[in-house]
Amino acid sequence: MRHDQARWTEEGAYEPLLSETRTETAEPGDALPDDLTRDGLELPAPAEPEVARHYTRLAQMTYGVDSGPFPLGSCTMKYNPKFTDALAGRPEGAVHPDRPDEALQGTLAVCHGLQRHLAAIGGMDAVSLQPPAGAAGEFTGIHVARAHHRANGDERSEVLVPEGAHGTNFATAAMAGYDVVEVPAGDDGRVDLDALRAAAGPETAALMLTNPNTLGLFERDIQAIADVVHDAGGLLYYDGANLNALLGRARPGDMGFDVMHYNVHKTFATPHGGGGPGAGPVGVTEELAPYLPAPVVEEREDGYRRVEPLRSIGKVHGFHGNWPAVVRAYAYIARLGDEGLRAASANAVLNANYLAERIDFDIPYGPFHHEFVASADRDAADVAKRMLDYGVHPPTTKWPEAVDEALMTEPTEAESLADLDRLAEAFDQVARDDDETLRNAPERTAARRVDQTDAARNPRLSWQALDEE
Amino acid sequence: MTGDANPYVPHSDAERATMLDAVGADGVEDLFDVPDGVRFDGDFGIPSRDERSVRREVRDTLGANADVTEFLGRGHYDHYVPAVVDDLADRSEFLTSYTQYQPEIAQGFLQALFEYQSLLVELTGLPVANASMYDAATALGEAALLADRVRATHGDAIYVPETLRAERRAVLDTYVAGPGLTVETYPTAEGTADVAGLRAALGDDAILVYAETPTVRGCVEPALSAVGDAAEDAGALFCVGSDPVALSLLERPADAGADVVVGDASVLGLGASYGTGLGVFATREEYLRQVPGRLVGASEDASGRRAYTLTLQTREQHIRRERATSNICTNQAHLALRAAVHAAWLGPDGLVALAERCVELPRNLAAEFDGVAGVRAPVDDRHPFREFVAETARPADEVAAALLDRGYAVHAVDDHEVQVCVTETTADETDGLIAALTEVA
Amino acid sequence: MSFDVPADRRYRESHEWIRSADGRVGISDFAQDELGDVVFVELPAEGDRIEQGETFGVVESIKAVSNLYAPVSGEVTAVNDALDQAPELVNEDPYGEGWLLDVEFDEGDLDALLTPDAYRAQIE
Repeated sequence: MRHDQARWTEEGAYEPLLSETRTETAEPGDALPDDLTRDGLELPAPAEPEVARHYTRLAQMTYGVDSGPFPLGSCTMKYNPKFTDALAGRPEGAVHPDRPDEALQGTLAVCHGLQRHLAAIGGMDAVSLQPPAGAAGEFTGIHVARAHHRANGDERSEVLVPEGAHGTNFATAAMAGYDVVEVPAGDDGRVDLDALRAAAGPETAALMLTNPNTLGLFERDIQAIADVVHDAGGLLYYDGANLNALLGRARPGDMGFDVMHYNVHKTFATPHGGGGPGAGPVGVTEELAPYLPAPVVEEREDGYRRVEPLRSIGKVHGFHGNWPAVVRAYAYIARLGDEGLRAASANAVLNANYLAERIDFDIPYGPFHHEFVASADRDAADVAKRMLDYGVHPPTTKWPEAVDEALMTEPTEAESLADLDRLAEAFDQVARDDDETLRNAPERTAARRVDQTDAARNPRLSWQALDEE
Repeated sequence: MTGDANPYVPHSDAERATMLDAVGADGVEDLFDVPDGVRFDGDFGIPSRDERSVRREVRDTLGANADVTEFLGRGHYDHYVPAVVDDLADRSEFLTSYTQYQPEIAQGFLQALFEYQSLLVELTGLPVANASMYDAATALGEAALLADRVRATHGDAIYVPETLRAERRAVLDTYVAGPGLTVETYPTAEGTADVAGLRAALGDDAILVYAETPTVRGCVEPALSAVGDAAEDAGALFCVGSDPVALSLLERPADAGADVVVGDASVLGLGASYGTGLGVFATREEYLRQVPGRLVGASEDASGRRAYTLTLQTREQHIRRERATSNICTNQAHLALRAAVHAAWLGPDGLVALAERCVELPRNLAAEFDGVAGVRAPVDDRHPFREFVAETARPADEVAAALLDRGYAVHAVDDHEVQVCVTETTADETDGLIAALTEVA
Repeated sequence: MSFDVPADRRYRESHEWIRSADGRVGISDFAQDELGDVVFVELPAEGDRIEQGETFGVVESIKAVSNLYAPVSGEVTAVNDALDQAPELVNEDPYGEGWLLDVEFDEGDLDALLTPDAYRAQIE
């Protein structure tokens, strides 16, 4: 399959900037005295038909999951069910959080319902929906760990992170004031238990783990890993990015994890929206429940109430997180139920294994689950650019570093057999394309290869900056 | 429909059999490498239901929310969102796309974010604006971390007004815990900064001074530059909190000496949504490399045309890891798109007009409140923006409860103070509110 | 591919060099090639002190960020301001115009460093 993406061009650019079509300057009136107001506001002033055309063209020059396969590893770019769109919008969602609880019983019921479902799915005892993204969930979880240790009179200074972990894990630990200790993987791509034993000690606040890991491998020694960390007095944190592989078959709570975050924009199909909003709810065992950020929704005799847990770490968001993602996730889980969730993980794993079988690339580590990491024979970034010409979004490139020229690939359960075959064909076609073709790629996308070096050396971050040149 | 337990899995049984055959497995279960000791064979107790049932159930559940008119604000606001926003922003190419790591195929979204950044540059007067943070509170937290990182500042104290919303203060406290910074307050008067009190409070440990306009009590801050001067004299960065509608009218933060601007842009494109936010973060050129979050830059592509790309990604977690400026990854990009569409639809005239209504409406309503026996308004001798505080002879929580019974929600902010927000979406209901207030005050 | 390894320098295994004659410090040809297009360099200020073996700054390309490790200890006497506007000098002329800083140091510190031959052996 080839994909010729829509492209609007005009004199040295693609679709013109709104500022290049028509700008106007609006002066403040006399609602406020002059010394409290700004000078004229100069902004684009398109009429509604122009707004419609501008953004329609921009949409045509954007590729989403509805356009074609999007097998980014650890992103779980699965189909976003349309029926959740209406539920996320107005008027039902258009409430102010400062209503008293008794006037919010509907919203709180949905929140409570999602808390309950997520707790069940993760094998946890309590859940907060406040973190507005996975990284925020990690931040919350590490702060919960911190509070737990302090309550025990313990000032631990280190967080352990496997070398192949997502960048957010490292950044989160640093943001929370911890030193990061990297735990190497063994030859089999899993956490090296001996190295972990050597690294874990009285300074260990937590080990952050994704399971299956970023190579798609299940950490078989998870119980031993949990024991090592717990024996050292640390907590075991689960990064929920790869939960789609385990839905209904294994739960972090049963593996010894004490605290976890869920990525609803991954596992629970809420739309990525070009970079959010998602949500990163946090689940904990009963022992850690008192530390969750406020509010947590509880069901009382007289209705739902937002409560502040007894030893709450405080807040990680000004209100209660991202409502649109919360209600969509709730609706998705309600639609699928137990059976549908189990079918998600089953087909996610089947699809990844089938795709891996079909492509002619070396996959050094296995047995993998919902994602695998293939090794490109040439620069993975160039391979990715050429895949765009075949109508697929490429996998994640150059990570994890355990695999040379890594292509971390997660098709998800939402790819049909025909689309998987097309995706496999795209991989193999690129492998057959010559070096020059790869260097010149992409040719059929709206834009040709963008010069990222110049963008970094000479940052131009607004139309005002362009005007100044 | 495949008749499967999961309607979003496009496999027939025959197709699944073909695939299993190809991988050499008897059943899907064989593909799982999960030790028996941690397998889960139970149920979550969640039945699956068809789409129609789930839609009805969720709608009915949400219908349990009380049917009240919200005169609520204090950091989360409702404005009219035109139909084009849903229609255009929810196009599935936008909605189902990912972070733009492959710019060639995502020029559309990248340009929309570039335009959004430019909107904030015009509103704030600062040259660098990112493509979003989670919300106003977390953006303030990130501003504190930036102040800690930059070489220009020496110290560890963040100064905020004593009236800062408790929730924002709580988030700030969480963010500063890691680097071990402290949060101090400075006094306010008439709902805005008490500059003399601020100067007295500022120590040489100050690295950031924060002020909001409008303030949480709905007052336009008349001393913004003076607060900025005090910050500068103390060797601290000056951070202003505001929103794009307010900034369409109020003095530009850059002109008042702001080094950083934070706040919430969900006043455009989203409206009330149970507190969902769109964090703003803008700053000076010299702090460019300390900025958290995504930045979209203009460059050229291989055809020589102007093209857009995420840039300066080495600041971010996926490259810099523990040295990243922030751990932020997924943010509020789609809401930034919605805000950009809304701003384009309004144009500068529409934005200024909306902002001026945000002054006139509360001014007029406060006067009407003042005419009700047992009520004095406005409490703060300041120009209002969207909201104002009124003093009630009767205890405020009783007044608020009684109003709620009659279908109107207001804030009770102190023993005898209520706060009322009014925008164009509730302007038609103010007569009813006044009538109810007359009964309950 | 053969990388430049000038004889009048000493090298750290982390690819920094120092010119013993005048205390000029930079990164090697091998390093700039590994990094790819340099987009930014973060350096200390004049008057700051750097410690042998510890991080004194960072060099960024579009795909990576690398710590810079001090080859010697001492006070920074000059910093290459040209890199602000032209970070590509590090790629184009890593031993000349792409220098990073000058440091006043103790001769004894050089003993811990690699000779040009030893460094060449390491990178090949």
